[in-house]
Amino acid sequence: MLAEVTLGPRAVPRARFVVAGETARRAVRSGALWGCVFGLYVAAQALTYASSYKTPASRERLAGLFGTNAGISALNGPAHEIQTVAGFTAWKCLMVLSVMGAVFGLLTATRLVRAEEDAGRWELLLAGRTTRRGACAQALGGLAAGLGAFFVVLAAFVVLVGRSHDVGIGAGGALFFALCVTASPALFLCVGVLTSQLFGTRRRASAYAAGILGVGYALRMVADSGTGLEWLRWATPLGWVEELQPLTHPRPWVLVPVAALCVALGGAAIALAGRRDLGSGVLAERSHRRPRTTLLSGQVGLSVRLSLPVLSGWVLGLCAYALLLGLVAKSGGQALTASAAMAKAIARLGIPGAGAQTYLGVVFLMTAVLLALVGAGQVSAMRSEEADGHLDNLVVRRVARPAWLAGRLLVAVVALAALGVGVGLFAWAGAASQHAGVPFSGLLQAGANIVPPALCLLGLGTLVFGAWPRAATPAAYGLVAWSLLVELIGGSLGLNHFVLDTSIFHQMTAAPAVAPDWTSALAMVLLGLVAALAGGAAFARRDLQGE
Amino acid sequence: MATPAIKTEQLSKRYATLDALTDLDLEVGQGEVVGFLGPNGAGKTTTIRLLLGLIRPTHGRAEIFGLDAQRQSVAAHARLAYVAGEANLWPSLTGTETLHLLGRVQGQVDDAYRDELIARFDLDTAKKVRAYSKGNRQKLQLIAALMTRPDLLVLDEPTAGLDPLMEQAFRVCINEAHQRGQTVFLSSHILSEVEALCDRVGILRNGVLVEMGTLAEMRHLSALTVEATFDGSVPDLSAVPGVTSVEVAGNVVRCQVHGGVEPLLKVLAVSGVHELLSREPSLEELFLAHYGAPDAEGHVVSGAR
Repeated sequence: MLAEVTLGPRAVPRARFVVAGETARRAVRSGALWGCVFGLYVAAQALTYASSYKTPASRERLAGLFGTNAGISALNGPAHEIQTVAGFTAWKCLMVLSVMGAVFGLLTATRLVRAEEDAGRWELLLAGRTTRRGACAQALGGLAAGLGAFFVVLAAFVVLVGRSHDVGIGAGGALFFALCVTASPALFLCVGVLTSQLFGTRRRASAYAAGILGVGYALRMVADSGTGLEWLRWATPLGWVEELQPLTHPRPWVLVPVAALCVALGGAAIALAGRRDLGSGVLAERSHRRPRTTLLSGQVGLSVRLSLPVLSGWVLGLCAYALLLGLVAKSGGQALTASAAMAKAIARLGIPGAGAQTYLGVVFLMTAVLLALVGAGQVSAMRSEEADGHLDNLVVRRVARPAWLAGRLLVAVVALAALGVGVGLFAWAGAASQHAGVPFSGLLQAGANIVPPALCLLGLGTLVFGAWPRAATPAAYGLVAWSLLVELIGGSLGLNHFVLDTSIFHQMTAAPAVAPDWTSALAMVLLGLVAALAGGAAFARRDLQGE
Repeated sequence: MATPAIKTEQLSKRYATLDALTDLDLEVGQGEVVGFLGPNGAGKTTTIRLLLGLIRPTHGRAEIFGLDAQRQSVAAHARLAYVAGEANLWPSLTGTETLHLLGRVQGQVDDAYRDELIARFDLDTAKKVRAYSKGNRQKLQLIAALMTRPDLLVLDEPTAGLDPLMEQAFRVCINEAHQRGQTVFLSSHILSEVEALCDRVGILRNGVLVEMGTLAEMRHLSALTVEATFDGSVPDLSAVPGVTSVEVAGNVVRCQVHGGVEPLLKVLAVSGVHELLSREPSLEELFLAHYGAPDAEGHVVSGAR
């Protein structure tokens, strides 16, 4: 016998916060991951300082050198009580992590708000009972959950490392410090949500948010460069973060403008969400334009055309950063020359001597990391072209898969090489303007020296792309993060050389402080080449895979 | 004999535990227009992606004009054009830029025909792909494929998102291609489109080709629909050999007849039949016969064959 059935829709509990839930699920995952990386960075800095500067005298000497150095202040912010572990940790970590956190914040926001809308996933939800404003508010709620996860994980690390006898940071101070580090990601999450309302594509939303970050960073730099413009610190949110002065003279009231700006940005985003069409921004992009076909005569030209916006951003950012390093190289070098303890610490890294060249040798590791990130971005772009189905349009025509991959890699290799040389040139320009006495050829070689690790990463990323395409993006970025971690804490933990060799930066010498080791560099490039060839062979033999 | 445009031998694709396509033997002659039917998930797109070398077969092989679809894919692609069911084009390029790029990548374009197609499909090519509707993106793909005048057109649900006027323009283009001797392999859900355009039709079910032939052959093998109106009482036809799906409404009976109609005619002749209508099944009925027809309440009854 048939059971009696009810006709019509059945009432089910209404899911009110689908957008919030979905956004939170993804934001919490990346928030926890970044919290972990930031936590490890803080722990590494605190523990390294505590073990390198054991005596009050050595700490006082360091404070005397760095506390008043304008060049170093422009990079790291003003130094407060850096003769203590807490003061040094705050000074060494707060600005670096605030900038990295801002990048995390703005990229997460545009990914989970603008990119989700672009992919059409919000359309279904908004066809239901959710309004555009409601969805935007929910997305903000979801992102806040991600930020919460970031704070909790970071705070756990800081509290734990603070309990170490050598470090000795109290739980209250550790929590406030974690909160201060969270301020910048929070602000730039809101900036990212706002630019996602203003612009119709993720690329533009991210670019404008990054532009705001760039202006904020430049203002802070000017304010901290000892030119009597300290008041400018109040004109930039990154300056507010400095004014919080965690672990030394905590000023919780500075959180008020931070919170107020977050609320204002979030409120503006919600208001704008109601005043635009789904899939477009308030500032509509021109939908028509004259054709520009110069680069569109083949797949290599297309790769150049598609990569240009992102690579131009990197050229701008990396060259500006290199110029800045060059500008502060002289004063940074003077600080090193005057510090026996610092010279000893640097000598432990295998870098002899002192002065501007030594200083640049130490800080060029960061430019190598950034260049490797460009390489990881290129691997990720290759995977996106396949996942989005764009690659199908080429390989169903007269383009062989190996030819497409070779063209794509050629663009990436040329871009990485040009960026490396650009970094060297701009660092030299900065250093030469201050008469730092670093030779042109030395910095040009130092620029070339950071290219092999990025090429090696590109090759290894291509191998993963060929064999396990869906793992390519996380593997490429993961390898950069892992390598950085090994470089930062490997030395102080005394890890064996097998672990150290897993870092793509380990075989790179600290040029221009020492001469580049071209044999090792060639080995890195060859490793990348072999991996890329293996990846290419696997790619030619596998199914193309969508998302 | 001319090399077939498409030839597959035991072409199969297995994903983990799912057999997406099993032992497909297919041959499409040059100049033919062949329709490929099947519900969602039947394996149509898998077949097309195997033919294009985008995915690799678990076993079996495919040839395009005698060229191996995997090992000689570039040479094979020089002779074909493909339209995907979903137009995944570069959002930052305009229509003109997309057509320029795809023409250059293919290495051949009939410029005059391209301009004519743009006019026929009424497409504003100065617009960025991002700003196009789904239908307009589909038009752009169609123009990009047709403008190269390929020997073989592989079309995967090409009219998805097109309005009836544009669908008509598409049919005109395919008929022209047919007349010029181009081969067309068309996967579609729109049965009237396949019925209007195709010489032969293949029906795919759960990755297996269950039927392949001309519409006339398929109709011949299938049931005839008979509707009889009686003066008086309605006889019981369910026991008549070859008769199935008997439906009675008042003094009207509708049924399906498989094989010869003679036994039915004998019964009808002595039952006072007032009016008799018979017709061949439409493609839709053939299709539903393979996949199940909706019952009186609209539920699909599968395997009603």
